Amino acid sequence: MKKYLEILKISFKAQIIYRMDVLFQLLFGITKIIFASVVWGVIFGSRSEVAGFTLNTMLSYYIVSSFLSCMDLSDITGNEMTWRIRDGTFSKYMVVPARVFGYLGAQTAGKAAFYLTFNLIAAVVWVLLFQIKFAITSNALLIIGALLMAALGLVFMLQLNYFLGILTFKFQDVWMFMMIKNNIVQFVTGSLIPLALLPQPVIDAMRLLPFYYVTYLPSMLLIGRNGEELLSGIIIIAVWVAAFIPLNLFTYNHLRKRYEGVGI
Amino acid sequence: MRQLRVIKTLIKLRLSNLMVFRLSFFGAFLIDGSMFALQLVMFNTIYSQVDSIGGWSRGEVVIFIGTFSMINALNMLIYFFGINDLPQRILDGRLDHYLTKPGSPLLRLTFESVDIGSIPLVLGSIGIIAYGVSLAGITLTAGKVAAYIVMVLLMTLLWYDVELILRCIPFFVISAGGITQLEQFIELCFKVPGVLFKGVFKVLFYFVLPYGVMATVPTQLLAGTLTPGGLCYAVFIAALFTALALGLWRLGVKNYKSASS
Repeated sequence: MKKYLEILKISFKAQIIYRMDVLFQLLFGITKIIFASVVWGVIFGSRSEVAGFTLNTMLSYYIVSSFLSCMDLSDITGNEMTWRIRDGTFSKYMVVPARVFGYLGAQTAGKAAFYLTFNLIAAVVWVLLFQIKFAITSNALLIIGALLMAALGLVFMLQLNYFLGILTFKFQDVWMFMMIKNNIVQFVTGSLIPLALLPQPVIDAMRLLPFYYVTYLPSMLLIGRNGEELLSGIIIIAVWVAAFIPLNLFTYNHLRKRYEGVGI
Repeated sequence: MRQLRVIKTLIKLRLSNLMVFRLSFFGAFLIDGSMFALQLVMFNTIYSQVDSIGGWSRGEVVIFIGTFSMINALNMLIYFFGINDLPQRILDGRLDHYLTKPGSPLLRLTFESVDIGSIPLVLGSIGIIAYGVSLAGITLTAGKVAAYIVMVLLMTLLWYDVELILRCIPFFVISAGGITQLEQFIELCFKVPGVLFKGVFKVLFYFVLPYGVMATVPTQLLAGTLTPGGLCYAVFIAALFTALALGLWRLGVKNYKSASS
């Protein structure tokens, strides 16, 4: 465990070098809030409520979900694996005395920990800038549950991207799938629009998938809604995380034999 | 005529290259196709709750998404993969290969990476636009369709100009990092119909970085809501940015210091 903590610390410190990346990461967060304030500002100009949301709760939702999705840096893991396997430099992960998933996970966690402070500051700035009456719950149970669910969601996203990265051993050219996955994930995690706007049968189907619990449900819980789904949500996302552990182990052990270390 | 022959040769060379990576052949189509399909679903979901957004009906927004998709498809098909890598070429000196060869380096950069795999995206965009037209109940005339096509091409040129301007920055600064990231950030705002922007965002996305004009103006033209002032503004901004992009390219090439840039 200590070695992963060291990797996390190094990754955290290394972020200080890439100051522009921090700025762009913060800018990515603001685009969704601009989108929300422009589109929903116009819609709420002629009505006071849409699907149970007021303008304030809608903008609060976007600020929270934008904050949570900015914390998900797991696609870096998938991309790192893909490019290193392709150019033959993945060998370094195979020879270090640490599990590949643990190494990459600790690296991503280090980056996420670094961005946490900046994302929090950015969220406060957007609340002040857009003069939003920020609607966050005062229920401690909902807050703790939402944070636990969001943490499990981040682990799941890391597992998913790691899995896609592993597939490079077999398919070599998976960047296309990664980009399509990014497009779909943006929608199914509720980063583009709250999933509450979708028809009920679609929402019911989405409850079975892990993406519902990555950004959407934690954001809803933090603005004080969907409290009845807290326990079932934590259980479902935990089951998905548990299911991906043997899947990733098996896939990695099976496919890594194809790696030749010379690049493609 | 000579330039056309050059373009034809570049396309032939590119096609041979594309055939090597068959899985990636339809990459742009699948990636951008999924993006626009989700944008359609997103606005469809919003319209299930409201009747109009800023006076735009569901049909008009579908035309807007189709137009955005069409401009993006033409961007991918013709020039994106050619000029996308320009900042890196400036930094590592690979631009030398273009400057030392006979012919226009910008012409070669623009047309050397044509992506035939994006053609299905053009066809898909036509389908989305046709669906939007039927939803909005717009009666099409030959003149209106011709004017729409000209406007889409003009807006594709405008997008090219903005992309080129952003990619010329490394001629004058040391680091090129973040330019494409910055562009991705700005392009997210392109997904919003320009008529919805107010105040500072209107100035930003109608004049400074005119992404708000690109898909909005052709949509308004097809829907019959474009004012003569709006039409003149679109033509003016496309001409202005073309002049700016070419001027900046020429200035950049003069400033280029080969591999030590």
